[in-house]
Amino acid sequence: MLIRSMGRLLAALLLLSAGVPSLQAATLAQKVQEHTFANGLKLLVVERPGAPIFSAYLTVGVGAVHETSGERGVAHLLEHLRFKGTETIGTTDHRQERPLLEAIEQTGSALDRLRNEQDAAPERVAALEQRLADLQKRHRQLVVKDEFARIYARNGGVGYNAFTSKDLTSYIVSLPANKLELWASLEADRMRNTVLREFYTEREVVKEERRRSYDSDADGLLYEALLATAFTVHPYRHPTIGWPSDIANLSPTVTRSFMERYYSPVNTVIALVGAVDFEQAVALVESYFGSIPAGTPVPEVIVIEPPQRGEKRVTVEFDAEPRLAVAFHKPTLPERDDYVFDIIDQILSQGRTSRLYRALVVEQQLATSVATYGAPGYRYPNLFVISAVPRHPHASAEVEAALYAELQRLAKEPVSEQELERVRNRLRVDRLRYLQNNSGLARMLTFNQSVSGDWRYLVDYDAQIASITAEDIMRAAATYLVPGNRTVATLQKKGP
Amino acid sequence: MRLHFFALLLLFVLLPACAAHRPLPRPDRVASPPLSFAVPKVDRLVLDNGLRLYLNPDHELPLVRISLMVGAGSIGEPAAKSGLVRLYAAALRSGGAGERDPATFDEELERMAADLAVSSDSYAVSFGLSLQRSDLEAGLAVLADLLRRPRFDARRFELARRQMLEGIRRQNDEPGAVARRALRRTLYGDHPLGRTPTQDSVRAVERSDLLAFHRRYVHPNNLWLAVSGDFDPANIQQLLNNVFGDWPLQPFAVQDVPPLTGPLEPVVLAVHKELPQTTILLGQRGITKDHPDLYALRVMNFILGGGGFNSRLMREVRSNRGLAYSVYSFFQVGRRLPGLFIAGCETRTATVSQVVELMQAELRRITEEPVSSEELELARESLINSFVFAFEGPHEVVGQAMRLDFYGYPEDYLQRYRDHLAAVTADEVLTVARRHLLLDRQTIVLVGDQTAWEGNTEVFGLPVAGLPDEE
Repeated sequence: MLIRSMGRLLAALLLLSAGVPSLQAATLAQKVQEHTFANGLKLLVVERPGAPIFSAYLTVGVGAVHETSGERGVAHLLEHLRFKGTETIGTTDHRQERPLLEAIEQTGSALDRLRNEQDAAPERVAALEQRLADLQKRHRQLVVKDEFARIYARNGGVGYNAFTSKDLTSYIVSLPANKLELWASLEADRMRNTVLREFYTEREVVKEERRRSYDSDADGLLYEALLATAFTVHPYRHPTIGWPSDIANLSPTVTRSFMERYYSPVNTVIALVGAVDFEQAVALVESYFGSIPAGTPVPEVIVIEPPQRGEKRVTVEFDAEPRLAVAFHKPTLPERDDYVFDIIDQILSQGRTSRLYRALVVEQQLATSVATYGAPGYRYPNLFVISAVPRHPHASAEVEAALYAELQRLAKEPVSEQELERVRNRLRVDRLRYLQNNSGLARMLTFNQSVSGDWRYLVDYDAQIASITAEDIMRAAATYLVPGNRTVATLQKKGP
Repeated sequence: MRLHFFALLLLFVLLPACAAHRPLPRPDRVASPPLSFAVPKVDRLVLDNGLRLYLNPDHELPLVRISLMVGAGSIGEPAAKSGLVRLYAAALRSGGAGERDPATFDEELERMAADLAVSSDSYAVSFGLSLQRSDLEAGLAVLADLLRRPRFDARRFELARRQMLEGIRRQNDEPGAVARRALRRTLYGDHPLGRTPTQDSVRAVERSDLLAFHRRYVHPNNLWLAVSGDFDPANIQQLLNNVFGDWPLQPFAVQDVPPLTGPLEPVVLAVHKELPQTTILLGQRGITKDHPDLYALRVMNFILGGGGFNSRLMREVRSNRGLAYSVYSFFQVGRRLPGLFIAGCETRTATVSQVVELMQAELRRITEEPVSSEELELARESLINSFVFAFEGPHEVVGQAMRLDFYGYPEDYLQRYRDHLAAVTADEVLTVARRHLLLDRQTIVLVGDQTAWEGNTEVFGLPVAGLPDEE
């Protein structure tokens, strides 16, 4: 959501170049320069004044939504593994490590098969585990640990990271301005020559990540249950990290195949924001990425979520105080109703004058906080989610009732022109604020390019927002924010 | 002839293979042009009434950002009213000011699409305000109202209190938060740095306490104000004078910082929560910003657990063994009193002992043998070369200058920062590790499934304790 808003911001700024509110902003927007290379790779550059630094986002348009049932969690595990290096980075001798990698893969696969057998003999499991450990130990002699991270750190890089979402995977780093060529060289090597090493140890790391972000976290569990309940068939129902048994059974074969299918220029967009020269960036990216074969476009997900027929509810038992989340199916961009929901989001929960904050937090004091957001992705029809933290002794049910009263009001009474104007102004200024940050700007550019196919697609954002009427809002509320279209997830402590 | 043909064929088959296996050039062998970078200058001014100003105009975007610090924080709270300053910040922000009641105050800010936040910590109350250039004058008037004519609306004060009480009810929901709170309490004892507000202490705070705090500390000569963005430098002083100029300088007693008492005996704090993963923290008291070992400690900690994937803890616990997702260590640089040294991670119940021992082994190793020259060089270069990111945007530049002054850093702190780091040697790293890592004095916090320790009075050579008393 944040990302998308930023996308719309830049787009909106292009409009502003026609004249009024801010000349500076318009000038900045005109600085978004783009280049498409012969192999389909897209480059977006914003040259900014200020510190001699830049942020780089390399976004591959493949995420958890593109996984099938035998490979759930693979996009995220692969993101981890692509930190492990290439044929030259991360090893002292790739030729020497290759037979070991093959032996590790065979042993690990045999071990996974054995663990899934009903009555596998424990001593056979133990023997294979020992064999795997021995091979890993031998292989480690040839590993140069976390060398990508080392090179970036030595060169002053900060924020070297990656993330996987439902819709895409991004590799990010910010560097001093004189390191642009180093960045291009390293990232092209990652795209071309990745070697999936230390697979089984990293799979354990991902299991710990899941325990941390979901199985030991009230909000993570609630969110996971909300998505799995709201969607029946669409892959948006699955956690990006995968369910525990998904992670436990991911194999190097499946992972490599996923990588070879999708991690190619035709599915990739790069954004460089900061002290970068556009011409030089084009030349460098051409010289390092230009000869990489285009690859095949990621296919569309053909699963369509059937319309919801009646309210769904799910309860999560966990050792934490109660909280709740309510989700409504809605269309995604470029549908007009998606813009309407940007306005609804503002009216309901953004800021201290918003309706839910005033009603639930200040006046009735049923909740300590209320938030609304779009989830879990934007490539396919998604959800409008309202989450709230009840204030003791008020129960989740009371919060729900108060919440629904506000939603009904939205469907019955037209929003005043004054409130609408406040929202339009807020959307415009907030999107200006996103431009203050290199990394945020790079993120929004690649997100938009990747998800909507063209970052300029939202060029008419302000015009769209301005065209939305109080009638539109009432209609959208009456269509989507209704009991039959909602999923309610509550979290509570286990009963006695 | 036949052989010939075979040889030729082989050549053709092998050639592409050879090409594929030819050792690739190293992608990091890339020349970098020199980087020209100087620590940016910030304009400093003091108004006649003592208000300190830090200005950094920048016209890229039509926005202005303001940060403001009041020189007093929770360090002065009495134990019976712990949470007073947090309530002060919340009630100040939400309680209306000047002619505006709370609702009208927020509507005025929202009309401008302005963002205003007030927060507090041990030593300061901090304000952040983000505005459009066109609203600068109106925004400054709102800010001046808040500082000079706050209303502390009684209903909003009560709401802030109820919100805080609910927060306290929920303070055991998140294992990491439980662990940090428990560790602070054990390491600082019943000192303001160790306390957490309780139901009782929050109920004991009265509106008059907030007014008293405000009267005592909010004076122009106890304020630091930083402005960045799209303002006219020729005009800003006049604008500020308009709203703050007639606010008289007021002599006041600088907030007392109570000294720490002697450290408590190290223990293992085992807090039971039914979770598949345990949060582990190893902690002790650390240093203040004035300690001469600061730079060597930065380098040492980078190598130990501060350098992300380049640190020993990450390598041994996560990367080599897959025992954790996040593992780290840090020295909080105490601004006035010593901060904490903390090493932490999360691991599944079955591997808690193994991970604690691994972490302890790494702490011990860095106090026993010198770090390698590669490690030393990587840590120094990383810290030095990433220094430029401290000046990422115009507001970071001016905000940093203000904070350094606020805490009384030496004037040449930024200028000399990189030289200090460059001078650190492996011997010094070893010396400061020995001096500052008190291996047998570290408290261990475990939040998770404690079934394994049940009935034990001693774990990892330390006595087992429950959650420290919070009254």
